[in-house]
Amino acid sequence: MTHENIVNVKESLEKAGYICSKTVATVVYLAGATQKPVLVEGPAGVGKTELAKAVAKSLGRDLIRLQCYEGLDEAKALYEWEYAKQLLYTQMMKDRIDEVISGSGNLTEAVDRIANEEDAFFSERFIQPRPLLQAISSPEPVVLLIDEVDKSDPEFEAFLLEILSDFQVTIPELGTRKAIKIPFVFLTSNNYRDMSDALKRRCIHLYIDYPDVNLEMQIVKLKVPGIKDRLAEQLINTIHEIRSLDLKKKPCTSETLDWAQSLIALQVNQLTPEIVTDTLNLICKYRSDSDLVTENIETIAKNAGLECSI
Amino acid sequence: MLDLILNFVSCSRASGLRVSSSEVLDCVNQLELIDVLEEPMFKSVLRANFAKSRREQAHFDHIYHLFFHEMRSELSIPHSASLEELMEQALDSLGEELNQDASFQAVLDFMQGNPLAYLEEMRRLQSDMDGDAPSGMVNTFGPLVRRLQIMSQINSIGNAIASFMAANRQTVHWEDRKAMTIHFDERLENARRMLREDPEPYNADQNLITNYEQHMNKLGERSFFSLTKREMEEMRDVVEQLVRKLKDTAQRRFSQHSRGVLDIKKTLRLSAKYQGVPIEVVYKHKPKRKGKIVTLCDVSGSVWTAAKFMLNMLYSLQDCFLQVRSFIFVDELEEVTKIFEKHEINIAVDKALNEAGINYQASTDYGSTFRQFKREYMDILNKKTTLIIIGDGRTNYSNPEENILDEMREKCRRIIWLNPESLVFWNTGDSRMRTYQRYCNELRHCQNLNQLLDFIKTLVL
Repeated sequence: MTHENIVNVKESLEKAGYICSKTVATVVYLAGATQKPVLVEGPAGVGKTELAKAVAKSLGRDLIRLQCYEGLDEAKALYEWEYAKQLLYTQMMKDRIDEVISGSGNLTEAVDRIANEEDAFFSERFIQPRPLLQAISSPEPVVLLIDEVDKSDPEFEAFLLEILSDFQVTIPELGTRKAIKIPFVFLTSNNYRDMSDALKRRCIHLYIDYPDVNLEMQIVKLKVPGIKDRLAEQLINTIHEIRSLDLKKKPCTSETLDWAQSLIALQVNQLTPEIVTDTLNLICKYRSDSDLVTENIETIAKNAGLECSI
Repeated sequence: MLDLILNFVSCSRASGLRVSSSEVLDCVNQLELIDVLEEPMFKSVLRANFAKSRREQAHFDHIYHLFFHEMRSELSIPHSASLEELMEQALDSLGEELNQDASFQAVLDFMQGNPLAYLEEMRRLQSDMDGDAPSGMVNTFGPLVRRLQIMSQINSIGNAIASFMAANRQTVHWEDRKAMTIHFDERLENARRMLREDPEPYNADQNLITNYEQHMNKLGERSFFSLTKREMEEMRDVVEQLVRKLKDTAQRRFSQHSRGVLDIKKTLRLSAKYQGVPIEVVYKHKPKRKGKIVTLCDVSGSVWTAAKFMLNMLYSLQDCFLQVRSFIFVDELEEVTKIFEKHEINIAVDKALNEAGINYQASTDYGSTFRQFKREYMDILNKKTTLIIIGDGRTNYSNPEENILDEMREKCRRIIWLNPESLVFWNTGDSRMRTYQRYCNELRHCQNLNQLLDFIKTLVL
């Protein structure tokens, strides 16, 4: 199943609990239609990973996720031989091996005979598929999410190229494996470092920024159903005011949602400057940031239209 | 349609975006799938294919706007066909009269709705014509003069058009004349604006870090420049303490890392020696997260104090990195890694100043330093290297050679620029921070100990 057109993408993503802008919908549609990977960039917490999850949900596909980190290698990303199992099998089949080599005239012949059999140990039976191989050999089409690809080593990035352009992997002992069904690939990046041109060339690029007021309002209303309109409005205006300050880490969409949820738990109906300062630790994760917000709380309150409770 | 896209692509290339032909193919294929008449969609397809990092997006938007909006101003006046003809005629006659200079031709093309040459001209201006004069004799006055030339070309075209209008007063209908004047004025104004506006550094993902956690109130906030000798000693002790603390934290993380999983492959291989009994057990040692560091320090008077402390810290933390190589420069580059490796840190700092063959009387020249680096040391940069440059970016009006910095960025993991000057002085006088800013991943203001400490912390942890 694929998306039929851009409007369809938007609707089905909304059904999966993800509200997106038109640009996002366009790119997702094109990636689906042309079977190209998408490279998603943007600040932390704007829903890059969520997007992949939502696409998987809306297409009814499984999501296979590969979290990248420094030191990630092929053995963890692609496949590994199950050495323990191989060892066990050799132990169990010792007698059989004796049988195979019994009657051989000399050592060379014995070795030859074993050589005829030994492929058995490097076969599908003993391979342990890791996310990338799983995604490629799955009979059902899947969504493959390669998360935080910028955290991986440059070597791994180069290794990804084969998968991204041809959807195939090469296992030295077995040969080249082609994808049965081409997966929908998302790569996310936090801009920790620049990706290579070769990688960028193979992907469609998508930058997700902090959502604007309207979009964020829709998101809050969808994810926090109990929230009152007035409170939501105040909340989002305040967040946008805070984002315009020079912070070390700006509050992201997921933090807005956390904040909204906790305000509901606190049974707040009206946002006041005092409540903002009291619950600041939900949105500011550095001390210097919360200090800065506390200093500027009056301007924020004025611009966001909060009432002072005197 | 295809022509339009190809035109746009060559314009993008002319202004410095890197667009490969496979990207063009993809883009054209994708355009077939969407409704091209809907502009936001059209734009996002182009953008998704041509601008593949946040850094390039602002630049892309600028070209897009220029190409599809300013250059294609539709004429909504009656008999526009004849008008167009007239305009062409006007510009052609201009071309015949005054055809003398490449930049003049570029402006003329721009007037006719073909911005390619003009964009290229602009880009050459911004990169200070490095390619044309590799000898390093170019100074920052060059572009200024060039800018003036183009400005006067624009004006002369403006005048020529006005006189053309006056000459043809009889033959052209007044409504046409009016429309033409408006149209031409708009374009001329556009061209002037592009020339006037300084190119915005389109490096949005780079973070300019200006706020800091407070570590120490008194000493930490003093600027490096204003320290007395006694305070300097005091500072040294404080630094030592802090470094020890940092080292502990870093070490803890590394030791956590090495508590690895059983390496079955190696264990099995070793067990073959003992008839398959795994007597020696091997654990997987994860590679430590260590990077290589290359530092370039401007040691001309103004910057050296800050650089000294930075080098001090870096070398005290040496085991947190795979390798640290350092260079100092004024107008030429000198490697001082050996000195720092051999001697105790405080002695080494003094030695580096006295013994390295650096001419301190020369004036700082970033351009020649970069050229020398490219010639001799480019191979030490790889994707694991972090390049740290400490300097105020004051080039004494010589060629800044920022294209070499760009090359360096391509080669290394990231470039961090530390500027010990006060923020207000950036981009004043001969400071080329704005030029260099474009190519750095991170730009830090580093004037006192707190800021330096903050930087070292993010680097190590």
